[in-house]
Amino acid sequence: MRPGRLARLGGIAATLGVASCVENLTAPGKCPEFCPSGSIRIVDTLLTMNVSRDSAYRGYVLAHEPAALAVVDAPGVMDSRAIMVTGALADAVVLAGDTVTDRIVGSDSLKLTLTLTRRDTGAQNLTLRFYRLPVNLDSTTTFANVAGAFATAPLRTVNLDSLEAKATRDTATGNFVFVDPATGDAIAVDTATDRVALTVKFDSLQAPYSAADSGRLGIGLRVAAGGPTSVAIATRASVVGGARVSWYATVDSITDSSTTRIHKLPPFPRGVEFESFVFDPPPAPLDSTLAVGGAPSARSLLRVDLPRAIRDSSQIVRATLILVPAVAARGAPADSFIVEAHTVLTDFGAKSPIALDPQRTDTAMIRIGATDSVRIEVTNLLRLWAVDTILPTAIMLRAQDEGSNPAEIRFYPSAAQPYRPSLRVTFARRFPFGVP
Amino acid sequence: MKAARRLDGWTGRVLVGAAVLLSAYPSSRLTAQDSQFGIQGLGTPGRFETVRARATGGAFAPFDAMSPLMEAQLGDVPGLTATAMGGTSYRDADLDGRTTSLRATRFPVLGFAQPMFRRLIVSGSYSTYLDKSWQVTLRDSIVLRGTMQPYTDDISSDGGVADLRIAAAARVSAHLAVGAGVHLLSGSARMAALRTFDAVGGDTLYQPLLQREDVRYTGLGFSGSALAVLGSSLRLAAFARADKRLRAWLGDDQLASEADLPSAVGGAVGWWPSPSARFAAAVAWRSWADAGPQAFNTVNWSAGAELGGRFSPVRLGVRGGRLPFGPGPSAPKELGFAAGTGMAFSQGRALLDVGVEHLRRTGSGLTERVWTFLAGLTIRP
Repeated sequence: MRPGRLARLGGIAATLGVASCVENLTAPGKCPEFCPSGSIRIVDTLLTMNVSRDSAYRGYVLAHEPAALAVVDAPGVMDSRAIMVTGALADAVVLAGDTVTDRIVGSDSLKLTLTLTRRDTGAQNLTLRFYRLPVNLDSTTTFANVAGAFATAPLRTVNLDSLEAKATRDTATGNFVFVDPATGDAIAVDTATDRVALTVKFDSLQAPYSAADSGRLGIGLRVAAGGPTSVAIATRASVVGGARVSWYATVDSITDSSTTRIHKLPPFPRGVEFESFVFDPPPAPLDSTLAVGGAPSARSLLRVDLPRAIRDSSQIVRATLILVPAVAARGAPADSFIVEAHTVLTDFGAKSPIALDPQRTDTAMIRIGATDSVRIEVTNLLRLWAVDTILPTAIMLRAQDEGSNPAEIRFYPSAAQPYRPSLRVTFARRFPFGVP
Repeated sequence: MKAARRLDGWTGRVLVGAAVLLSAYPSSRLTAQDSQFGIQGLGTPGRFETVRARATGGAFAPFDAMSPLMEAQLGDVPGLTATAMGGTSYRDADLDGRTTSLRATRFPVLGFAQPMFRRLIVSGSYSTYLDKSWQVTLRDSIVLRGTMQPYTDDISSDGGVADLRIAAAARVSAHLAVGAGVHLLSGSARMAALRTFDAVGGDTLYQPLLQREDVRYTGLGFSGSALAVLGSSLRLAAFARADKRLRAWLGDDQLASEADLPSAVGGAVGWWPSPSARFAAAVAWRSWADAGPQAFNTVNWSAGAELGGRFSPVRLGVRGGRLPFGPGPSAPKELGFAAGTGMAFSQGRALLDVGVEHLRRTGSGLTERVWTFLAGLTIRP
């Protein structure tokens, strides 16, 4: 090939190489001169009459069903106490290395381990008091039923702050732990979750073995501090599990020279077979207001008439449900709780199944005692309705930790005209595509 | 097999490589050079010119058989001919002292021509009629619920309107050729508007919104042209074209807008003093002012030369005129220079053309400087 022809081909190849493509069309706009004639138009509107046919229902999560038990001491406001019954023991056990069963004849001690999932870290001298309760506790047990038992002297009183002050960091886990050699009590504070695992030791008098009750024990728990306070104790329904019970029992044994031996029964750890909480004052009966929270838990269903122009022909960028409390939120001062707004899959009134999708759930924090309007951002819900037009346009309000807290709020319903629920919607009209 | 034999060896490999490079361009980029000036109008008009014509500033388009500007010059097509071209533009948009560098790759002309009878040549071609590819980023704020809420808008359009032409030309005599064409205007643009709200005090309650729409465009046009050869070296060309309304459709049948498309008339003169020197000049008028507000009638001119043998010429050209859309009281101006060359292979059965074009557009405070690198391949099997 001639050199001139080769050079020319090189030039052509270079031009083709330069023409290899990447695209960058983005330019800063100077409006209106060098921008499209159309623009995104935002409209903000308050829909005052579009929330209607609202109702409140109670009984979704009962006091013995939640993931946590609320123990509250707020004098004059709320007094909530945990009650539980330990699991039954067999009346005889087979000791290691033995082939015959040995009858349990008594108790040496018992260790009860509780997990506190929430506590008032601002409280001073946070103290837990344990009481002996009858074993016939059940879901119908009321505050008044056990008031007498709680009026007696407590079995044990444990100052949580004192224990925690002595805790040191465990190099293996990173948690702060302490075991009191004098009482046998122990504490472990999980530095990651701030959960507190508290082990309380009861002696044979505080935790006697009752063959008639199959070893069951009724235990009650109150909390106290320098001021109003509350704690939440994990139950069997929680991810961390409920209370754990370890019996140290005495058995009648013939395998040794001694006729009785003390045997720890870790192979037979017992949990609790019933746990609940009772509180005073009891929840007020439902009325025309929209109640959310409490125990048994209450939910409120609000039906929204979303204009078709918004639902079908625009795009919602923000939507806020505005609710006016009929009364101040009730509960312990430190027990602010979260109200969740869910859409329902089908509108069956009280039995409407809710969509449990975290991406489609909107929330708002409720401050105890506050009477300010509550604003719940429901953008996710309204956007879901715009996408899935089969879904009923109804919102179910419920407490996030449903049933685990007696705290409750009540909002004015749609029947209360001046204070009825309203919806503030910010949306974008359709961009004028196709118009020069 | 016959064609394969003709394009084998080293030359064949070069052509295959060039063809691969050209065909590697994204198929969705079948549009032409764009400009900020077209955002508020119908778009940026395409050029009905092959690389050969572009390299001469457009002056040779009326005389270049494969340029779809006219039809009459198809009479020069000796046999089945196909052409394709692509180009990449590097554009600096200087607005209020701020310069933004943009880049786009386009594939603006495809076509073929085939003599059908002794004097009749038919052609089918694709070319860009309007480019509608642009993207604008805006920063602004709006008072929402009593709070000033800053936001960023990204508004984009990706697509264009293609001119699908079926044309025929006949050589009436040794000195005169005439042609006519029907133009089916068809295209689409994928448009999107995205607004992202800033977080104000950590508040990101306003969710971003994105709206999309595929806009279809339809239209129809007719054209006619004549090419006369006077003596041995002088050529005269004239053309006229009338395009009807351009309709924009949303979905299947929702008419979004209509706009009148321009009529165009133009002429050109070519002087071929020797086989190795060819000169041409052209002018065209288009009634773009009918297209709506911020639109202007345009007059565009060009002059160019092609020097050297037909198998390896050097091309030069200059063009000027007005752009049809702009925000000011007068149409934006455009001035450009171009140069290029070509190379023939296999006894002229394959032509590889390259060119480079520089344009400067000014108007309403915006100055655009565009370098476009062009490559085209023409095959006559």
